[in-house]
Amino acid sequence: MAIAMYFAMLFSIPGVTAQTPTDAIMMRQKEFCVVGAYDHSSFDQYWEGTYLRSNGTIATVKRDAYTAGVALGFFDQLNLIASVPYIKTQSTEPNGGHFEGAQGIQDLNLALKWQIIKNQVGPGKLYLLTTAGFGTRLTNYLSDYRPYSIGNGTTEYSLRGIVQYKFDNGIYARGSGAYLLRGQTKAERDYYYNNGSYYTAWMDVPNAWTYNGVLGILLLDNYLKIEGNYVGQRSTSGDDVRPYNAAQPTNKVNFDQVGASVQYYFKGFFTGLSLFANYSQVVNGRNLGKSSQYGFGITYQSGIFQYASEDHMDNSGK
Amino acid sequence: MQNKFKLTIIAASLGICGLFITSCEKDMPTQADYSGYVFSKEENGGNWKPVLLTGSDQIAVPAPEDVSSSAYQSELADLKVTMSKLSSSQKETVAYWTNNPALRWNEIALELIAKYNLIPGPNDDGTYTLPNPADPGATPNFPFAHPPYAVRSLSYLSVAQFDGLITAWHYKYAYNRPSPSSNDNSITPAYPDNGIPSYPSDGAVIAAASRDVLSAMFPLEKDYLAEKAAEHLASLKMAGVNVDSDISAGEYIGEEVAKIALARASSDGMKKAQCPKPVSDSLKTAAHDRFGWQWDNLEVPARPVGLTPLFGQVKMWNVPNVVDVRPPVPPAPGSAEFEENVKLLKKYADNMTEEWRAIANFWQDGLGTYTPPGHWNRFGKEYAIKYKLNPLRTARMFAYLNMAMMDGGISCWDAKYYYHYPRPINLIPNYKTIAGTPNFPSYTSGHSVFSAAGAEIMTYIFPEEGSLFRDWAKEAAISRVYGGIHWKFDAEVGTQQGIDVANYTLDVARADGAD
Repeated sequence: MAIAMYFAMLFSIPGVTAQTPTDAIMMRQKEFCVVGAYDHSSFDQYWEGTYLRSNGTIATVKRDAYTAGVALGFFDQLNLIASVPYIKTQSTEPNGGHFEGAQGIQDLNLALKWQIIKNQVGPGKLYLLTTAGFGTRLTNYLSDYRPYSIGNGTTEYSLRGIVQYKFDNGIYARGSGAYLLRGQTKAERDYYYNNGSYYTAWMDVPNAWTYNGVLGILLLDNYLKIEGNYVGQRSTSGDDVRPYNAAQPTNKVNFDQVGASVQYYFKGFFTGLSLFANYSQVVNGRNLGKSSQYGFGITYQSGIFQYASEDHMDNSGK
Repeated sequence: MQNKFKLTIIAASLGICGLFITSCEKDMPTQADYSGYVFSKEENGGNWKPVLLTGSDQIAVPAPEDVSSSAYQSELADLKVTMSKLSSSQKETVAYWTNNPALRWNEIALELIAKYNLIPGPNDDGTYTLPNPADPGATPNFPFAHPPYAVRSLSYLSVAQFDGLITAWHYKYAYNRPSPSSNDNSITPAYPDNGIPSYPSDGAVIAAASRDVLSAMFPLEKDYLAEKAAEHLASLKMAGVNVDSDISAGEYIGEEVAKIALARASSDGMKKAQCPKPVSDSLKTAAHDRFGWQWDNLEVPARPVGLTPLFGQVKMWNVPNVVDVRPPVPPAPGSAEFEENVKLLKKYADNMTEEWRAIANFWQDGLGTYTPPGHWNRFGKEYAIKYKLNPLRTARMFAYLNMAMMDGGISCWDAKYYYHYPRPINLIPNYKTIAGTPNFPSYTSGHSVFSAAGAEIMTYIFPEEGSLFRDWAKEAAISRVYGGIHWKFDAEVGTQQGIDVANYTLDVARADGAD
C-alpha cells in the first residue's frame, strides 16, 4: 500500500536556488540570499525492493513542497545555509485505500559551507568546497506513515565534498558526494518487523551515500544559467518493502535521478532577484516512488547590485 | 590562518554531532530481556485438567532408569563432559532459552506471524490469487497470517504446550527423578534449580510441541523451526538441567501432544473459512435481504471475497454454539444512533489530535505485524516474566488467553458476515482514514473483541493488573474509531462480546484444578 518519498526531502531546496549545500556558490561576507520555492512531485509506480509496480490502494501519490531558505555570508569562504519546507502529500482520486494524506512543516536543514580552493587553473577556475549539514524535525509529524509521511523524522548529519571546474567561457562541470548519517526515528507503535521482530518504537533510518553530477552553462552575459544534473543515493543498510506492504523508515532507499534546471537573474530595477525552474525524474530506484518532479522559485540576493555584471556563479570575494 | 580556524569550527561541530548521535541511539530489542529464574514447583500440576487430552496420563511415558543405574550414571557423565566444553556461542544459546522457554517459542510464533502477515496483492489482470496450503512456496506464500490465522496458530501452539506440560508434570511427580545437580553436586546448572523432578524434561516438551505445531502452521519455516528446536533441545543438556533420557521422554510427549492438537486443527473448519465467491456472495445477499445493507470491498481492484467469511463457523474451544454469543442487530444506516456515529467519526477526522493518532497507531497491529492477538500474547509474555510464572502456569496463561481470543475471533467473524455491516468509507461520502480499512465487514470490531477477551483472561491470571488490562482493551477498541475504520458501536459492542465470550473460557479455567 505504500512507498517512500525519501529523495525529495534530501533535496528540499530544489537543485538551483541561489545557493544550496551541493553547489559551488558562495555569499560574500555580510551578504545574504533568501529563496522561496515550490515543487511538486508525483508517482504512480514505485519499487517494492527492486520490483517496479503500481498500487491501486494509493493510486498516484502527490507531494507539494513550499520551501523558505536563506544563505548567509559569515565570511567570504564560510556560509551558512538554512531551509525549512512545508509539505503536503495525498493520493489522487479514486484510490482503493481512502487514506488521509499528511501535511506540515518538516525539518530545519542547516549547512555550513566552506570554500577551500578557488584558483585559476588553465582556461578556467577550479573550486573545491565542503559542506557540513545538520537536519532535524521541527514538528511531530509521523515518519512511519508511508507513502504519505512528510519526512524521515530523524536527525541527519552530512559531510559533503564538492569539486567544480568552470571554463572562462561559462561552461562548467561539478561533482559532489556526501555521506548522510541518520539517527533513529520514533514510530507510534512499539513493534515492527525488519527482517525479524523489533520490540521498540525506535526505527533505524539507514545511512546513505549520495552523489551529484552537474553540467551547466552560463549565457546572456552570465544572467542565464542552464544545468543538467544527476543525483544518486545508496543506503548502506535497510530492509526491502515487503510484497504489497507499506514502506517504513527502515527501508533501504536507493535511486538515480536525472534533471534539468534554468535560472535567470534580473537586471535594472529588479537587480538582485532571480527566478528558477527545474524538472527531475527518478529513473531507477529501490524502495521508493518513481517520481517526476517540477519546481520553481524566486531568490533575492543582497548586495548583488555591486556584482551585477559579474558571474552569478561566482560572486564571492575575488 | 583563517582557514585553519574555520576548519576547527567544522571539525568541532562534526565531533559534537557524532557524540550526540551516539548518545541518542536507543536500544533496539529484538526479544524479551529475561534469564532463567526461580519459580514455584507446582507439585499438583499433573492433576490439572488438560484441554485436549483425556487426562495427564493419556500419553504413556515409561518409568526412567533409576539414578543409581549405570545407564543414568553414564548419561550424567556425558552431561558433565558436554558442560565442560561449552563454547561462548553455546553459552549464549543456554542463556537465550532459559528455564521458561514457552516464552521464547511464543516469541518465535509472533515473529512468524509478522513475517507472513502479508495480504496478497492483485495480479496484473486485476484478479487475486490466494495462498495455497498445498503449495505453500507459490506466490503468494502460504499462509497469509491475518488475525484469525494468527490467533488460531497461537491457540494450537499454547494448548499443545499446556497439555504437554500437564503430562510432563504428571510423570515428573509420578517418577520423581531428581535433577542432575541433585544427583551430583559437582554440576552447577545454568538456571536456578527449582527442585522440580527432571524426568521428563519440560523444556523438551515445549521444544518438540512448538516445533511440530508451528511447522504445520508455517510450512515454509519447517527447517528453521527444526533448527531452533534442535538448538533448544541441545541447550537442555548444555545447561545441566536434563540428561538425554529426560530430553527424549519430553520430546516424545511434545510430539504426541502436537499430533493430537494438529488432528483437531485439521478438522476445525479453518480450511473452508476462505470460501469461494458464490458462498461469499450468498452471505452478502442474505444480509441485504434481512437488513437492507451490505458491506463491499472498495479496494482497487476490488477483492472478490472478504477475509475468511466462514471463520465464524470454525470449531470453538469453549463456547458451545456461536449463535449464543452473537451480538444484537447494529443501528441501521440513517437511524439517529447511526447519524451520531457519523458525526463522531467526522469529528475525529476533522480534529485529529496527536493523542488520538498515537492511540490509533499503537493498537493498529495491521499488515506486517503480529496482529492484535499477537499483541496480547506479548503482554502475556511480559507479565509472565514480571510475575515469574513457572513454565506450566505460563503455558496455562497462553492457552486460555489464546482459546478465549480465538473464540472471540470466531464470534466476531460470525457477526461480521451475518450482519455484513458497511465500513465508514462505504457510507460516509469522501471520508478518509488514517488506518487501513480491512477486507471484511465492520460490525463488530475484531480488535475490540480480541482485546476484551484477552484482557479478561489476563485479569484472571494477573488480578492485580486487571484495571490496566481492561483499560488497554477499551483503548484498543476506541483506537479503531480514531483510525476511522470502525463505528463506535462496532467497538463498544465488540468489547462486550469479547467479555461475554471470555467468560466461557474462564469457566473452564476455574475448573481445571489450578486455582
